[in-house]
Amino acid sequence: MEFLKMDGITKKFGNAYANKNIVLSVKEGEVHTLLGENGAGKSTLMNILIGLYQPTAGEINLRGEKVKIDTPAKAVKFGIGMVHQHFMLVEAMTVFENIILGTTKESSAFIKKEAMKKEIRELADKYGLNIELDKPITEISVGAQQRVEILKALYRGAELLILDEPTAALTDIEVIGLFQIIRKLTAEKKSVIFISHKMREVLEISDRITVLRAGETIKTLDKEQTTATELANLMIGRELVTSEYSKVIQSGENVLELDQVSFNSSSKHNGICNLSLNLYKGEVLGIAGVDGNGQSQLAQLVTGNLVPEHGTVVLKGDRVSNFVPKHFIDSNVSHIPEDRNKMGLIGNMTVKENLILKSTEKPTISYGKGGFIRKRAIKLFADQMKKKYDIRCASLDQEIRNLSGGNQQKVILARELEEVPEMLVAVHPTRGLDIGATKYVHDKIIDARDQGCGVLLISADFDEVLKLSDRIAVMFEGQILGIYSGQNPPIHEISLAMSGKESERSSSNEIK
Amino acid sequence: MKSNNKFIKIAVPVLAVLLSFLVGAILIACIGGNPAQAYQYLFKGAFGNLSNFGETVVKATPLIFTGLAATFAYKCGVFNLGAEGQFVMGACASIFVSTTFTGLNGVSLLIVSLLSGVIAGGAWGYIPGILKITRGLNEMIVSIMLNYIAILFMGFLYTGPFRDGNLPQTAAVTAKLARFVGNTRIHAGIILALVLALVLYYFLFYTSKGFQLRAVGLNQTASQFNGYPVKKLMLLSFIISGAIAGLGGSVELHGTQFRLMAGFGDGYGFDGVAIALIGQLNPVGTVVVAYLFAVLRAGATTMQVGTGLPTSVIDIIQALVIIFAVAGSAFVNLPHIRQFLANLSSKKAEEV
Repeated sequence: MEFLKMDGITKKFGNAYANKNIVLSVKEGEVHTLLGENGAGKSTLMNILIGLYQPTAGEINLRGEKVKIDTPAKAVKFGIGMVHQHFMLVEAMTVFENIILGTTKESSAFIKKEAMKKEIRELADKYGLNIELDKPITEISVGAQQRVEILKALYRGAELLILDEPTAALTDIEVIGLFQIIRKLTAEKKSVIFISHKMREVLEISDRITVLRAGETIKTLDKEQTTATELANLMIGRELVTSEYSKVIQSGENVLELDQVSFNSSSKHNGICNLSLNLYKGEVLGIAGVDGNGQSQLAQLVTGNLVPEHGTVVLKGDRVSNFVPKHFIDSNVSHIPEDRNKMGLIGNMTVKENLILKSTEKPTISYGKGGFIRKRAIKLFADQMKKKYDIRCASLDQEIRNLSGGNQQKVILARELEEVPEMLVAVHPTRGLDIGATKYVHDKIIDARDQGCGVLLISADFDEVLKLSDRIAVMFEGQILGIYSGQNPPIHEISLAMSGKESERSSSNEIK
Repeated sequence: MKSNNKFIKIAVPVLAVLLSFLVGAILIACIGGNPAQAYQYLFKGAFGNLSNFGETVVKATPLIFTGLAATFAYKCGVFNLGAEGQFVMGACASIFVSTTFTGLNGVSLLIVSLLSGVIAGGAWGYIPGILKITRGLNEMIVSIMLNYIAILFMGFLYTGPFRDGNLPQTAAVTAKLARFVGNTRIHAGIILALVLALVLYYFLFYTSKGFQLRAVGLNQTASQFNGYPVKKLMLLSFIISGAIAGLGGSVELHGTQFRLMAGFGDGYGFDGVAIALIGQLNPVGTVVVAYLFAVLRAGATTMQVGTGLPTSVIDIIQALVIIFAVAGSAFVNLPHIRQFLANLSSKKAEEV
């Protein structure tokens, strides 16, 4: 039976169509995948479904009845639950508190904790959602947080669950667990809308797949009748060109050496423990690993944003004693930070201003040290960068927060790579970008490498690490579990190391 | 897009003022007054003749200083609610200098005295600044508490060591800022205030240090990642903010009041914060709004005399301006409204 039918959905922002005459139907007990590049209109469509946006035209039917979903609360009432890519959890609260947050099931003024906990536990057992109710969110893994989000939606009576890129931050083993949960859900006649870019997963879990492109429905296909290649072609509307970058083997000069570096080493997720690493000039060293195994701390340590508690950091042959970002910047280290909006850009400043963020005191930008800025020179420079890096914006005087993610990232690239750095720390450089922008970023990183820059690439996207890295280091719980060649990398071994298996094996070896 | 932003930045406070006067008119009608007549007296009191105009300017001068002090700190993302204390400390330092270094002649004494005000205000701003960056104390609370200390210290001065005769006040300073417009009380302080506003405007928007300071105010994390000395800039902006307020106190002393007594600088600090916010944290906007506040203050008495309406009506209008301006700024930042305004401007662009 058909649970949801979105018919002729059109959403206009100004004169641009975000959605144009989209048709989507989801059957009861089905996993329906929405596939499309960034900007294809998936998010807009889902925001319409959960009541954040009102469609310009078109109608939504639930179980054959026309409904109007004008608030998120209505969506919940109709049994639609969404697990956002970035979880909406209150970190300081416990799992239980997060689940009951905002529910109006309880009519009495007091919270009947035990009864509610019992109900939640039953629900969790039914779907195999293994969680500890009394732990604060900060102490549970990303996978567990996701289960909390799913449970939260189910507790609110969701019949249709929207999972927005649910596997992005999970290990392979966690993904298997998630898929088991999804299968249990569909066995209980719940429907799932699954949003993902990863073909393998899509083909594994979906019953049907709807491809969106440029705001329009391209096709809805049954899983059995399609292949990854066909889907990819439909999604991007052209043949997928897989660009393979040549790999290099460097062994000359180190641009960076870490020796037994520790920071907050007691924490498995936010610390670094006795980590040693070296980065050669002119190579890409990829750090593979699941998000939250100390990668953020590593990136911040080698850009001067954190001070190590133990160990030494040697940059271009000199031991670093002054851990401030300026020292690293002055030593020609560039940084593509993990969170571009929070760390890389100043949202309320203009594109132009963000382009010169690092060079305000350079003689080309201002007179003297900290003196008057040369507005005309800046405008010229910004115009050049706009052309060279293909930054698409209405005006360079536009506030940068109004640009798309890809264009924001291009601004960062222009700023960080225009003067070829000696070391580049790139953290999740393509997170949230579409295929075109991703390729652009990759090309630029390889260009920098070929000009002799040592690149430390930290990414949760394993494919990205495989594609770009000349050497691959696997990080797990603040340690490096192994370094592998980027040419014909042993993928199976690497993925085992990513889930921490390497340490178990080596320790068992020791016992023998 | 940017011109659109600029338009909103001007439109919001202007609308806020118009709305406040509208609501004020209803209020006046409710208590049995004639709004048209009341406003007529209000503006007559503020600009009716040269001496009234002069009084408005005199009242605006200290407000410009405290408004600029608040603006400058806000721009760097720190909240200086202690402008009143810095204002008072500036005046205290000036009284000390003026009564101690009597060997100096007029102009040099005046300059030294004003400088001492700058230093004292800066030092008073240094305290919450350094406590914030080294110990993480909330600068708003520290700076407010320092206000009380400054006011009580001033009380100690004019009742104790610097008391002049029987009244609880200090002797008048001898070095005075020149008055230069007819027989009004307008003094050179207003020139200082206007020049300072321009200097700050150029500093913030035309120098790279000012750029860095604004960047820190808008996004501390990104500023740190891009190599700015975030803490140093915050401390610096607190010191400069304090110094501006301190200069204001010193100017008020040498230009208008001449002596310290109870009530000196009362309320200027918080009015400064409101002025900065309504002025959209722009030094030039701050000057305009400070003048508006002075108009309200100067005209209130005339209105009371002319119509019998209490001056508190004007206090209410002033409060309404603050509420409408702050609400308006928040309103245009609501996602729906932002969207609507963006649509509006894109349509406009199309028509052109």
